[in-house]
Amino acid sequence: MATDIIMPQLGESIAEGTVVKWLVPLGGTIEKDQSLLEVETEKVDLEVPSPATGVLNEILVKAGETVAVGTLLARIDSTSVSTPSEVIHRVGGVVVRPVEPGAPGEEHHSPAVRQLAKEHEVDLTHVKGTGAGGRVTKKDVLEFVSQSTPAGKVSVANGEPSMGEEVLPLTPMRKTIADRMLKSRQTSAHVSTFFEADFSSIAAFRKGRDLTYLPFVVRAVTRAMRDVPMVNSTWGDQGIVIKKDLHIGIATALEDGLLVPVVRHADRKTLTQLAKEIADLAERARSKKLSPDEVQGGTFTITNHGGFGSLFSAPIIHQPQIAILGVGAVQKRPVVINDAIAIRPMGYLSLSFDHRVIDGATADQFMAKVKHYLEQSHWEQIL
Amino acid sequence: MDLADVNSEIKRADLLHMYSYLRLTRALEDRITALYRQGRIVGGCYTSHGMEAIAVGYASALERDDVIAPFHRDMGAFLIRGITPGEILAQYLGKRTGPTKGKDGNVHMGDLKRGIIGFVSHLADNLPVATGAALAFKMRGESRIVFTGTGDGGTSRGDFHEAMNFAAVRKLPVVIFCNNNQYAYSTPIRYQMAISDVVDRAKAYGMPGEIVDGNDVAAVYLASKRAIKKARAGEGPTFLEFKTMRMHGHSEHDPAKYVPRELLEEWKTRDPILIAERLLVQLGYGDETYFHEVGERAKKEVEAGLEFAEKSPLPEGPEALEGVFATEGPDGCANADQSRSAA
Amino acid sequence: MTMTTTQTTGEVTYLEAISQALDEEMMRDERVFLMGEDIGQYGGAFRITEGFLDKYGEWRILDTPLAESGFVGAAIGAAMMGLRPVVEMQFADFISCAFDQITEVAAKNHYRWGAAVPMVIRAPFGGGVHGGPFHSECPEGWFFHSPGLKLVAPSTPYDAKGLLKAAIRDPNPVIYFEHKFLYRRIKATLPTDDFIVPIGKADVKRPGSDISVITYGAMVHLALEAAQLLTKEGIDLEVLDLRTLVPLDKEAIFATVHKTSKAIVLHEDNKTGGIGAEISALLAEECFDSLDGPIMRIAAPDTPVPFSTPLEEFFLPKTADIVTAARTLAAY
Repeated sequence: MATDIIMPQLGESIAEGTVVKWLVPLGGTIEKDQSLLEVETEKVDLEVPSPATGVLNEILVKAGETVAVGTLLARIDSTSVSTPSEVIHRVGGVVVRPVEPGAPGEEHHSPAVRQLAKEHEVDLTHVKGTGAGGRVTKKDVLEFVSQSTPAGKVSVANGEPSMGEEVLPLTPMRKTIADRMLKSRQTSAHVSTFFEADFSSIAAFRKGRDLTYLPFVVRAVTRAMRDVPMVNSTWGDQGIVIKKDLHIGIATALEDGLLVPVVRHADRKTLTQLAKEIADLAERARSKKLSPDEVQGGTFTITNHGGFGSLFSAPIIHQPQIAILGVGAVQKRPVVINDAIAIRPMGYLSLSFDHRVIDGATADQFMAKVKHYLEQSHWEQIL
Repeated sequence: MDLADVNSEIKRADLLHMYSYLRLTRALEDRITALYRQGRIVGGCYTSHGMEAIAVGYASALERDDVIAPFHRDMGAFLIRGITPGEILAQYLGKRTGPTKGKDGNVHMGDLKRGIIGFVSHLADNLPVATGAALAFKMRGESRIVFTGTGDGGTSRGDFHEAMNFAAVRKLPVVIFCNNNQYAYSTPIRYQMAISDVVDRAKAYGMPGEIVDGNDVAAVYLASKRAIKKARAGEGPTFLEFKTMRMHGHSEHDPAKYVPRELLEEWKTRDPILIAERLLVQLGYGDETYFHEVGERAKKEVEAGLEFAEKSPLPEGPEALEGVFATEGPDGCANADQSRSAA
Repeated sequence: MTMTTTQTTGEVTYLEAISQALDEEMMRDERVFLMGEDIGQYGGAFRITEGFLDKYGEWRILDTPLAESGFVGAAIGAAMMGLRPVVEMQFADFISCAFDQITEVAAKNHYRWGAAVPMVIRAPFGGGVHGGPFHSECPEGWFFHSPGLKLVAPSTPYDAKGLLKAAIRDPNPVIYFEHKFLYRRIKATLPTDDFIVPIGKADVKRPGSDISVITYGAMVHLALEAAQLLTKEGIDLEVLDLRTLVPLDKEAIFATVHKTSKAIVLHEDNKTGGIGAEISALLAEECFDSLDGPIMRIAAPDTPVPFSTPLEEFFLPKTADIVTAARTLAAY
């Protein structure tokens, strides 16, 4: 259904009017009573409200033109839009209640999803939901199934296993990790830069307090990201998208793989809050009680690889982020301070960054800041 | 009824035939009434007690491949058309051996092979259907006719009027009658219509009409014959008003206290069987002995029918699901391919 | 000019397709004849039988008095005597006058005493023509519920012709719902041979993978329009045209929902107690494990069809409703 927009008569003696400006572009949608255009006459300037809801699909009189009263200015096409209140009379079920994301493990699953999960022996807690409210949809299950080899079935790459070989079936997690790691390498231009930080002030502050090094590192990273915002970005075809929110993923080792739960808005949290959250996420990661939300949306990742003594590493960037920070083992080492040898707890910081987005200078700038904050922060003020 | 007319126009055999059917109809319906009172027949129980001459009279006037579209006071017509007492009792007892195999009850019987269009409970619905059957005969140039009717109450319904009109407009080979037994359930005729004679309606639709003594089987027969002849000759429909009296209630559960006793007493003397017997005696066709024999034969036939019906099986529950849709067209009436010229 | 011969090429309208079917069946089978108001001399209120009177004569093209109950009853009688009447209701709205004959006599006849009633009642139904409450009705719901009747509702010229032929050849009473809005608005080229569309078989008018739209009549075209619009949004509709309302093609209904897991049931008839309610119940009963979202219904609100244009426009389901519903269901 098309609605004609005509030049109104704005005053009894008025015979013509000028289109000053179209407030909606050609092809744009407009709601009934929303201002559609500005019109000017000898006597008055005003905005003309739209008589219909729809798409402005024809403009016949351009801005700046003067025409007689009653002239057809434009047309609105209403066939592709209907107002919600109208629709409700004819459509049953249009107000579909969105699925509330329940606690992990208590999620409501539709009959189709349950049936498919049963048929394919899928544990739905592993399936990422893309439906309303994070609901697992039929598509999600089917996609999950197509991407994973069912547990228990042997996937042999090179013929039958022979004596002296053992074949471990690929778990869905292993497949996902393999897939993602490879893809990340193929996507970003990985470069590494290594810094060393003095953890003395942190070590001193830690005495008597139940805190690991990680919250301090997270804190330092968020401060450094404020100084060098380019690091909190992502590569896009239209350009580099700098994110405003700081969501830090903490790589967590599991028995059979790896998960990266995310601390959201890490910059707004105190050390205590960070410590608590990191511990909780780690625990729930290991007991497989994370919700899909909690492993998504990170803007930067920290990987604490020093656990078994690793000093530095060149970690793989967690897409679609552009950098990842590795923290190696903190060890007492002889260092030179004021031309004298001192024993300090030192740790190497390894940054892998995407050279498509930032150059070495920016990366080093960032790392210098991280080092600075680790060494110079007044921790008692940030507790 | 003029004796001379009867003598010349009705064969002795035909009159005796009709008398035997009067007795058979009476015996059958008396048996049905008894079974009802014994609780062995369930549902509705409508008889033509005291009105038997109408159905027997008109049905006897028809040819074998004519078609009737009767209503519930026409038991005699069903018998003459060839539905046996056994089948009828099976129908009433809800057995599988009745004409509807238990799907319907009481007088709701139909069989295209025997030229009977089964009717529904909605009175006068059968009339438009009858005009359609007549239309088919006329379109095919067949000399068959349709005989149909309803009660005084039925003539108040729209379908009666639509059928009368259509029959007259298209000059269809149909005879339409009204069994005016003066009561439609508890409604006396004066609350059913503002006219005294239903036959007045015939003129309104442009067809000839006749008042007939419904209790005189010879009169019914002769009037029917005249109307049938007209129809077969392509002269269109006739309306016959058979005047009679409903001697029992609307159905057997209805004591009909609303009917004045005097009326019933008066009409008892005009019982169709009595009138027929008087006529037969006058013509010298029968006597008391003969009448007794016929009565006994009728009783025996009914009892044999009851035995058949009682021995017949009831349908099984799941049979209720059968027959909603047909898998082939109707096979037409008996001898449908025998076209005959007008009598 | 609607009078056609059996060897027709070129595009024909939905209305012409109906006309062709009647003409061809009357030529093929001398038992077939037409009854209705104004069909003879006048050629029919919608001109479907224009020229038929001259060709077939006044008995096979029978102008009836204004008495639907009377002439539908007559059709029943004629059918039982071996003819094949096709009765025309001038508008489907007038079928209520014959409700008694249709539901009590025709529908129950074969069940009760084994006598088939091979007749067709043509009923021009549906709105969008400014017809108001008595010339725009969709009465199929009343008869859907009457065992013994078959109901069909074609949406295209091909289906209109094929289904009418099938209806005429069926030994049962068939009510043929032809949508008056579609009469001259849709065209197609039809095969020249004698083709039938079987009663009881639905048709996937547009295959798709995301949402099934189950519908009939003029609404089929709205669904196809919506499907076109939605391709831009990556929503792929499957449109199932029921074609027959009784008996429902349950196999096709279940198959499409089994495939997409999401269903929109759409009809022009009033919502409450419309055929869509039955289909929704069937899906809930038989396809529960395949459902990945709630069953949605789109239908007219529970009012008579209003006359004034803005009222009728509000009343009738629109393409936009289907788009809105599909978006909601897709996002679920």
